[in-house]
Amino acid sequence: MVTLAECLGDCKPKIGVYALTSCYGCQLMLATVQKILDIAKNVSFESFYMLSSESRMPADVDIAFVEGSVSTEKDLEELMEIRKHSRIVVAMGACAVNGGVQSWSEGEKTCDELHKAVYGDEKIDMKPLQATPIDKHVEVDYYIHGCPPEEDELMYSISTFLFGTFPERVDYPVCAECRLKGNPCILIERGAPCLGPVTTAGCDARCISFDTPCVGCRGPVPFDTAWFDSLAMVFKKKGLSKDYVRDRMRIFGAHEDKLDEMLDKIYGGNE
Amino acid sequence: MRYVKISPENTYEFLSRLKGMGTLYAPSKISEQFYDFQEVDDVKDVEFDYHRTIRPPRRFFYPVEETMFTFDTHKVELKEKLPRKERVILFGVHNCDIVALRIMDAEFLDEQPDPYYQIRRQNGIIIGLSCMPDEYCFCNVRRIEFVDAGFDLFFHELPDGFLVRVGTVTGHKLIDPNMDLFSEVSKKDVDNISEFERKKADAFKVKGNWDDLRYLLELRMDHPMYEREADKCLGCGNCTLTCPTCRCYDVKDKPSIDGRTGERIRFWDSCQFRTHGLVAGGHNFRETKQDRFYNRYQCKNAYCPETTTAYCVGCGRCTYFCPADIQFRSNLMEIGGYQEVKK
Amino acid sequence: MSKEQEPSIYETHKCRLLRKYQLTDLESLFLFRFEDPGVAQDWRFMPGQFVEVSLLGLGEVPISICSSARRVGFFELCIRNAGRVTSAIHQLQPGSLVGIRGPYGNGFPMEQFHGRDLLCVAAGLGMAPLRSVFLYALDNRWLFGNITIINSAKFGNELLFQKELEAMKDIATAENISIVQTATRDPDFEGLHGRATVHMDKANVDPKNCAVAMCGPPAMYRGMFDYLVEKGYDPRYIFVTLERRMKCGVGKCGHCNIGTATSWKYACKDGPVFDYYAITSIPGLI
Repeated sequence: MVTLAECLGDCKPKIGVYALTSCYGCQLMLATVQKILDIAKNVSFESFYMLSSESRMPADVDIAFVEGSVSTEKDLEELMEIRKHSRIVVAMGACAVNGGVQSWSEGEKTCDELHKAVYGDEKIDMKPLQATPIDKHVEVDYYIHGCPPEEDELMYSISTFLFGTFPERVDYPVCAECRLKGNPCILIERGAPCLGPVTTAGCDARCISFDTPCVGCRGPVPFDTAWFDSLAMVFKKKGLSKDYVRDRMRIFGAHEDKLDEMLDKIYGGNE
Repeated sequence: MRYVKISPENTYEFLSRLKGMGTLYAPSKISEQFYDFQEVDDVKDVEFDYHRTIRPPRRFFYPVEETMFTFDTHKVELKEKLPRKERVILFGVHNCDIVALRIMDAEFLDEQPDPYYQIRRQNGIIIGLSCMPDEYCFCNVRRIEFVDAGFDLFFHELPDGFLVRVGTVTGHKLIDPNMDLFSEVSKKDVDNISEFERKKADAFKVKGNWDDLRYLLELRMDHPMYEREADKCLGCGNCTLTCPTCRCYDVKDKPSIDGRTGERIRFWDSCQFRTHGLVAGGHNFRETKQDRFYNRYQCKNAYCPETTTAYCVGCGRCTYFCPADIQFRSNLMEIGGYQEVKK
Repeated sequence: MSKEQEPSIYETHKCRLLRKYQLTDLESLFLFRFEDPGVAQDWRFMPGQFVEVSLLGLGEVPISICSSARRVGFFELCIRNAGRVTSAIHQLQPGSLVGIRGPYGNGFPMEQFHGRDLLCVAAGLGMAPLRSVFLYALDNRWLFGNITIINSAKFGNELLFQKELEAMKDIATAENISIVQTATRDPDFEGLHGRATVHMDKANVDPKNCAVAMCGPPAMYRGMFDYLVEKGYDPRYIFVTLERRMKCGVGKCGHCNIGTATSWKYACKDGPVFDYYAITSIPGLI
C-alpha cells in the first residue's frame, strides 16, 4: 500500500483533482464540503479546475483524485499522464470506480453501434471509447465509492493520507447500514427491487431512508462479495423478470465480470 | 417476589411518570410489518402487542457506533471518552430480549468489564412484557420462555390490565412512590396468568428442548444444509445486526483533516462480512461465504455458562429480517432432527 | 467509587521506541520502554502473551512479546511489515512514542514446564513468541532439564533471530542446549535443510519428561503432533499458539472466535496458547 510516509510527521501533500468523462459531481462534492477551507489549509491543491483557474494538467502531485470514466482517447491519454505524475491515484466516484452509468452498453453494443445510434453518420471531434473504470488502464491505489461520494468519505480519505496511512475500502453492503439505521426493509415488506444487499455501503442507506429502493450507485461490494445470484434468487421469488433484474443490476454494475454468470445460475441462460 | 396489578389506564399514567425519570423507549410500529424500540413521545403510541423489534435492545447499552477515545498525535495521547450517566428506561422487553441482555452482561461485564457498556447498563431500567409467540418464535426450546431475572419489572398481560412482577430493588423503587396506580393481585389474576402461560406454551411450533443441538451441530458438521443455505445468503449481515446477542465490533481510527487529532471509534461488525476473519498478510480464517455462514450457526448455538442457555434466544429476528428468507429455525431443526408440532 | 477508578480494560500505556533492529527483509525487532515509571515497575507478562500496539490515527495491531519476561519496564516485539499499522511502525524512528495495551492471552503455562526438558519448535514468524519461552528457560536455567530449540523458515534469510541463536553456541554447549536452525526450501542455505521433524534426532530431550512449545502454521502442528505422540512425548505437555484476528484482546470484539458450538473460544482470551487435547478435539482450531 502506497502511503505518504512523510505524513507520519507534519506534511502538506500536493493534491490534484482531475475529471475524465463525468458529470463533475464528485469534484463539486469535494469543492463544497463544509471543511474545504480546512482541507485547503493542510494540503496544496496543485490542480483543481473547479477551484482555481491556475490549475495545470497534469501536475506533479502526491495524490491524484480522479473522477469520471475513460470514455475517449483524450481521457485515456490524460489518465496515463496523471498516473505518471502522481505517487498515489485515487478513483473517486462511481464512474472512475465502476465505469458509471455510461457503461451500460458494456458487452451489449460496440462503441461504433452506439455512435451510430446517437450521431448517425455525423462526425464528432473526439475519439470515443467504450466507457471503462480507470483501473482497467492504470494501477489505482485507492477507491472512494459513490455517486457522488459522501462528504465524510472524502474527509476521511484525505485525512488518512495526512496521517501517513490510507483509506480502508468498504467491503460490506448498504443493506447492513440500512438495518443499523432502523429502516423497515422494503425488500422484505413489499418486494421492492432494492440492490442494498449487493451495493457497497457508505451512504448510510440514503435512498432507502426515503423509501426508495437502492439502485446500486455506489457499485457492487468489492472483493467478490456482491452476491448477485443470491439476490436474483430473492427477486425471482418475488416475481421480477430476468431482464428487469439484469438491467437494474447493470446500471452501475455493467463491468461486474460475474454478473451474467450469476444471473444465469438463477434464471437459466438466454434462450 | 412482590406482585402488583395495574389497569390499562393506569399503565399509561405509569408510563407518563416513567418518562419523567429518564428517556423512555418502547416498542412502536414503524411500518406495515415492522416494529422498533423508539423514544416515547405520546404514551398512547406504545405498542403492547408486537412480536419483535427490527433492532435489538442491546443498542441502548452498546450503540451501533461510539467514540472510545479521542487522540492527539502531538501529545501522543488517547483520551477515553466514556458515556454520560443517563437514565434509559426500556419498556416492553420480551423474555427473549431480557435473557439476551443477560447474555450481553455475561460477555461485557465479566472479570474484564467493558466500561462503555457498564456505565450505560448501570443506568438502564428494564421493564418486561409478556407475549404470545408467532410462527418465528422458538424461545421455549431454548428454555427461556419464562424469565426469572434480568428485569426490574415484568408486565404480564391480564384481560383487565397487567400483573407486575417486581424483579429488583430498582423495581420496588419504581412501584413504591406510584402505589396510587397499583392494586393487590387477586386469585383470579393468578389464574389468568397461568392460563396465559398455558396458551403461550401451546402456541409454539416446536416443543421440548434443544439442549443436544450443539452436540449434533458438531457431529453433523458436514451437513448438506450449510452449502444449500449459504448459497442463498446475501452476506448482508442482517441476521447478526438484528440479533439481540451478537456483539462483534470493529475498531477504526477516524483521523481529522488537521492531520493530528481524531477519534478511535468502534462499531458493530458482523461475522458475515469478509474482513471478520482476515489477518495481516491476507490470510482469511473464514474465507468463503459458507465458512462465514457456518460460523454463525456454531456461535449462536454455543453455551453461555452464566445464563445456562444457548447464545441464541429463539427470538426469530434472523429469520424474520432475512432478505433472502433463510429459515434459521428450520435449518437447525434439520440438523437436530426435530419436528414441528402437528396441530 | 473505587470501582470507577479501576483502570479501563482498554487503557493504553505510552511506550518509547528505543531501538529498531532489522532481522530479515520483512521483520524487525523493536525495543520499547514504558514512559510511566509506575507502569514500568508493575507491568509483567508471560511468554506467549501479546500486546496491542497502537498508532494514533492508524489503529491497533496484536503482536506477541518476544523478549525475556525477567526484564522489567522494557519489552521487545518482532514485527513483520504486513499491514497498515505494522508498515507505519517500521517507519518509526527511535524516540517515537506508541500506545501499548496488554498483556493479553493466557501465555504458555511456564510453571507446568518446570522440572522438565524443553523443546521449542518454531516455523517462520513463530520464532517470535518462542524466543520469549526460550529466554525464560535460559533465565531460569535451574528449573529446566535439557533444552532444544528448532528454528525453521522457508529460506535461510527468513530465519528470525538466526544470528542471535548462532552467537549462543558457547552458552548452548555449556548449558546442554541444542540449537537447530533449518531452511525448508532453500538449497543455497549454508546451514541445515528440511523441515523441523527431519531434525528431531538432534533434540537432546527425553520425550517422557519434556514440555513442548510450538508456533508455526497449522500444517506443521498436524505433522508434529503425530510425530511427537509416536515418539512418546506426553500430550499433556504439548502446547501450541494460534494466530487469529485479535482486535480487542479481552474477549469482546469477537473476531478471534474459534471452535464449534460445544467448544466456543476466543483465541485472545482462552488462547492463544492451546494444549494438545484442545487442538485435537475442537474442530477448526487448526
